[in-house]
Amino acid sequence: MKKKLKTLLSLSMAAALLLQGCGSTKNADAPFAPKYDKETEFSLTVAGNYSNFESLEAEFERFYEYYPNASLQYVTMDDYNNVISSALINSEPPDIFTTSSAMIGNEKYDDMFEACEVLSDPSLDIDYSCIRDSLIRTTDSGDVVMLPIFTTSYGMLVNMDIFEKEGLKVPGNFKELVSVCGKLKNAGYASPMMGTDRFSGSGLFNCFVYPMFAYNVIKNSDQVDALNAFEPSSGELMRPALERLYEFVNSDCIDLAKCQEEITDEYDSVIMRFFEGDVPMMLAAGDVVSGTAKRESKSDAFSAHPFKYRFYTAPAGDDGGYFINSISICFSVNKHSRDIDMANEFMRFLISRKELSNMAGLKRLITPVDDFSADEVYSALAEIPADRRFSDKETGLMDPAVRQFRAAIYAVGNGTMTVDEAVAAYGTIPEE
Amino acid sequence: MKRRLIIISNLLIMGFILFIIVSYANIKAVESNRNEIAAFEKMTMTTNQIIANYLEDEQHLCDIWADYINSSAEEGDMMTAKEAISFVRKAKISPEIEGHLIFLDNPERAGVSTTARVSDPNDDAISYKNINIFDNIEGTGDPNEAVNLTRAYTNPMNGVQSIAFYHDVTVFDQETDGPREALLMRVVPLSSLEQKFVFLKGEYENVEISLVDKEGNYVVHGKSFKNSNFFEYFKSYNAATSEEYEHVIREIAGGTGTMTIKNYKGEDCVLYYTPLETMTTWFLLAYIPAKDLVASRSIDWLLLGIASFGFLLLLIFNSIVMMNYNRELSEAAQQANQANEAKSYFLSTMSHDIRTPMNAILGLNEMVLRDSRDDNIRMYSESIRSAGSTLLGIINDILDFSKIEAGKMEIINVDYSVASLLNDLVNMVQKKAEDKGLSLDLNIDRDIPMTLNGDEIRIKQIIINVLSNAVKYTQQGTVTFSVHARKLPDKPDSVMLGVSVADTGIGIKAEDLDRLFVAFERIEEKKNRNIEGTGLGMAITQKFLDMMGSHLTVESEYGKGSVFSFELEQKVVKWEPIGDFEEAFRRSLSERMDYREKFTAPEARVLVVDDTPVNLTVFVNLLKRTGLKIDTAESGDEGIALFSREHYDVIFLDHMMPGKDGIETLREMKTLTDTPNTGTPIICLTANAISGMREMYTKAGFDDYLTKPIDAERLEMMLLQYLPGDKVTLVADADGDDTDEDALPDLLYHLEEIDPGAGLSYCGDGESYMDALMIYLGGAEKKADEIEKYWAAGDIKNTTVKVHALKSSSRSIGALKLGEFAARLEEAGNSGDQETLEKELGELLARYRQLARDLAPLNEQEE
Repeated sequence: MKKKLKTLLSLSMAAALLLQGCGSTKNADAPFAPKYDKETEFSLTVAGNYSNFESLEAEFERFYEYYPNASLQYVTMDDYNNVISSALINSEPPDIFTTSSAMIGNEKYDDMFEACEVLSDPSLDIDYSCIRDSLIRTTDSGDVVMLPIFTTSYGMLVNMDIFEKEGLKVPGNFKELVSVCGKLKNAGYASPMMGTDRFSGSGLFNCFVYPMFAYNVIKNSDQVDALNAFEPSSGELMRPALERLYEFVNSDCIDLAKCQEEITDEYDSVIMRFFEGDVPMMLAAGDVVSGTAKRESKSDAFSAHPFKYRFYTAPAGDDGGYFINSISICFSVNKHSRDIDMANEFMRFLISRKELSNMAGLKRLITPVDDFSADEVYSALAEIPADRRFSDKETGLMDPAVRQFRAAIYAVGNGTMTVDEAVAAYGTIPEE
Repeated sequence: MKRRLIIISNLLIMGFILFIIVSYANIKAVESNRNEIAAFEKMTMTTNQIIANYLEDEQHLCDIWADYINSSAEEGDMMTAKEAISFVRKAKISPEIEGHLIFLDNPERAGVSTTARVSDPNDDAISYKNINIFDNIEGTGDPNEAVNLTRAYTNPMNGVQSIAFYHDVTVFDQETDGPREALLMRVVPLSSLEQKFVFLKGEYENVEISLVDKEGNYVVHGKSFKNSNFFEYFKSYNAATSEEYEHVIREIAGGTGTMTIKNYKGEDCVLYYTPLETMTTWFLLAYIPAKDLVASRSIDWLLLGIASFGFLLLLIFNSIVMMNYNRELSEAAQQANQANEAKSYFLSTMSHDIRTPMNAILGLNEMVLRDSRDDNIRMYSESIRSAGSTLLGIINDILDFSKIEAGKMEIINVDYSVASLLNDLVNMVQKKAEDKGLSLDLNIDRDIPMTLNGDEIRIKQIIINVLSNAVKYTQQGTVTFSVHARKLPDKPDSVMLGVSVADTGIGIKAEDLDRLFVAFERIEEKKNRNIEGTGLGMAITQKFLDMMGSHLTVESEYGKGSVFSFELEQKVVKWEPIGDFEEAFRRSLSERMDYREKFTAPEARVLVVDDTPVNLTVFVNLLKRTGLKIDTAESGDEGIALFSREHYDVIFLDHMMPGKDGIETLREMKTLTDTPNTGTPIICLTANAISGMREMYTKAGFDDYLTKPIDAERLEMMLLQYLPGDKVTLVADADGDDTDEDALPDLLYHLEEIDPGAGLSYCGDGESYMDALMIYLGGAEKKADEIEKYWAAGDIKNTTVKVHALKSSSRSIGALKLGEFAARLEEAGNSGDQETLEKELGELLARYRQLARDLAPLNEQEE
């Protein structure tokens, strides 16, 4: 199965390119025109693991403008990853459900993918040409069964007011970062950069240096298999990133102890600490950024002294930061849906530059469409040069390899291993 | 304006009624809403009961399963987990319901299911490790709850959203070979519960039923409720303070009631909340858009719409009727305007047509007054003057009312003789009083200054009006006319003239006093219908007095009489008291008889243009004694020709002339540049005496105007104003000056044959008389000889002709007796009575020659 999926993944890029032609013949910006009678009465259920999906519920309302007699509901499923496959074939199956890129390659979800409608079927008339090519996933037969709705990345939240107040420019590369941090420290900011010291993808080390590592892997794609196979020698590929991390944690840029003390989780605490207004740069993943909008009003400090903030890539590289784009969630259609036509119709409605941007804007996640202007928070991403923009899938790294790298940076960052030790121990570094 | 007011009033009334209707509709709507909400609450309570019954039933079935399993254990025949599930599998009827037996003490929270996994029909093992529903029910069911129920969750066996009723059971654990506590769950698809809501859906189309737990997490939620938690949803879409938010949480998680919230569209919605019967951990929320509960209000709006429409129709109808009336009124107003214009035209015409002959009458009469020495003639002439003035007063009365109406009444102050004024008044009223047998008592202050300055005409009008009224409305008794003067301490040049007229007439009721001064209003019209009057008199009187800074005071006792009085400040020209009124009147009369010009200006030259020759004659004669050089022209063109050729110091232009009228003539004169009359004042002569005259003539370019009939004194005063001062010589006061009669030689007064007065009367003035005397004297001897000669020749005819001439010439020099003698002989000659002629002709000629001799000294004086 794994092999099969590998093949699937390697072919996916080529297939995506082919598929783009299919989508490009249509105009994703054209206003939505209902395919069916507007008076059609139908109910659809969208299942997912988000406990809350207001941005999707907003889309339901927009969809009702075209189909006023429709009734769409979002259902949060417990133990989603384990039950979704069963749910799709039960007596009350969801019509649309969320999937993630991590599910690809996992045979556990074979049945689930089997139950997916082929969204690239031209008869469905779903035009996904507005979505960035690198985010399109296909089966080995070239079918598109999942379409990205939100994407995420790793980088940092920047308090623009502080930079404006101190007369500084947001740093574009590591050298500038060190320089700016020095100035900020002199200006009284104890830890110019902060973040949560966690093992997860939202952890500050991962946010800072993983994109740099991923870029290095893409540039050395011949060693990807070795990395995935945990060949010890391949650990050398981590060295540049680990050394930059070591350099970073030992600079004036960050006070790790302060981070550990003041940021107690990887989500709420990160946001609320950033809203205190005295952190110039907060290392965070896009998922964390998505929680900022709702928490602005919950922060007394931010309510009293609101400030402007933006998401930037972390300037870990000598030439600048790297924008690694990961799929956050995708939508798939259950081909066993009791109202498959209307489920596809909703997807046809949703997959457009306008609606996807609306959703991403509400969720404050990175839109999968090729236009960052819809959300000001992410507007800085548009400035990243094309050669430093890539999707996580382009690295070819499997999840275990990623976890080993994460273990390496967690160890080096916290000083439990040296760079050499971590490089040498690749494949066997203890994970959380 | 009136129309606008009516429309506004209509709209206000409409608005008020609509307001009442709306208020009433609102009250009814609120009441209706309340009823609707109450009905909605009732239905929701019913639903609650249905759900509660359902839950109780399901729990009961779960309990039966558990009781059977537990009773087996109690009886010593303890079931294994597999056996227990097998029992449940057999016991359950509905295929969609599952039984799960879970060991909560197992880290995996593993157990057995009655139904195999959908994805693997051979696998009935189950794990609740990743499903967090046991936090609050660890180990056991709550004994206080009739129903032990989990939140909605995803059945891990089939992925169906479900709820589970649970009960503790004891089963046999083969591993430990002993009893083990487990949780038996009756797992029911959530859709089964949702079907119970259909009952309410039938009544309310848009109702949405949600079940939440104490934290607000949805167990079931309607499609309008966003978010995963009701309280979060409320906070997102309702602007509430933290206190209000806490209050909502307390209310929903603690009681039963109704509240209005905003949904995600910002619409008002009614939310009924109540704990689920038999449970304290779940709460039922019944949500419905508020508009769905106020549908009955549409009936009120319909009513309101009908009422509004009705009012609108009424307004339109009223407007149409009103517009119709307005059109008629407009037409009437137009007709009235036309009538008014006709009236103005009529007044103008009448003014001109009456005043033009009046100018001639009064002007010529003035000549008679000046030139006549015959007392009788002067008395008649004086009466003509007085009556003429009254007639003018009446005309002015009517014309002035139009001025008053237009607010353009002018007060023109002149010097006047108080005695003359009083005499005119008494003369005018005396006869009327006598005719009615009334006594006119006069009470005239002897100390009133002889000459005052004021608007004589208006004052006369005022007093005449009051006196006439007194006479008119008094049937018997007395009318007392009193005039007094008192000095004003702070105004040494003026006196306060007090005038009062008391009568013993019918009096005026107190309630009628206010109507007294209203134009065209006549008090007790019916009773006084035989009394003439326009109703204008008192109104004009009061207006005039207002303009002069005074007012008429009336004291009246109905049936007994009235006293009208007023005070008027007048400037004093001559302080000499009038003394006894009768005497003063005579003196005034005498003063008039002894007219004397105010000035002489022989060097000044005046042009007068008027198409009526008699008016020119009057004009010239009125100014004869001033010595002015007066050129006359009978048309505008003639006037313009003189204007361009000769220099004049003042020019008088008649307004109404055939051909070029006065204004056209004036315009043409003004356009001429090559004229010696640049800057010469041009005064308009007009018989138009209507309001707005001064503005009209000033606007036309005249320097001033003079109304006809021309008042000699005003004419002289105007000339004094406009003539160059160096050409004017003011005449000294007439007292002690010679008169014409005094200028005659004394000789004349000592000749028996001569009556100088008669001579002057025949000749017009002393100069003419003297000329006539000299001619008579110069030809006397010759004419006497001729008579003798014809008589001697027996030529009786020529003798008679010559005697006739002697008669005329004798009479013309005042030799009246000689004239009579000659007349007798002329008659004898005509009748052929030679005997008389023979006998008396000698005496006639002797007296003729004697008179010539007696007059001979005149030749010396002349030389």
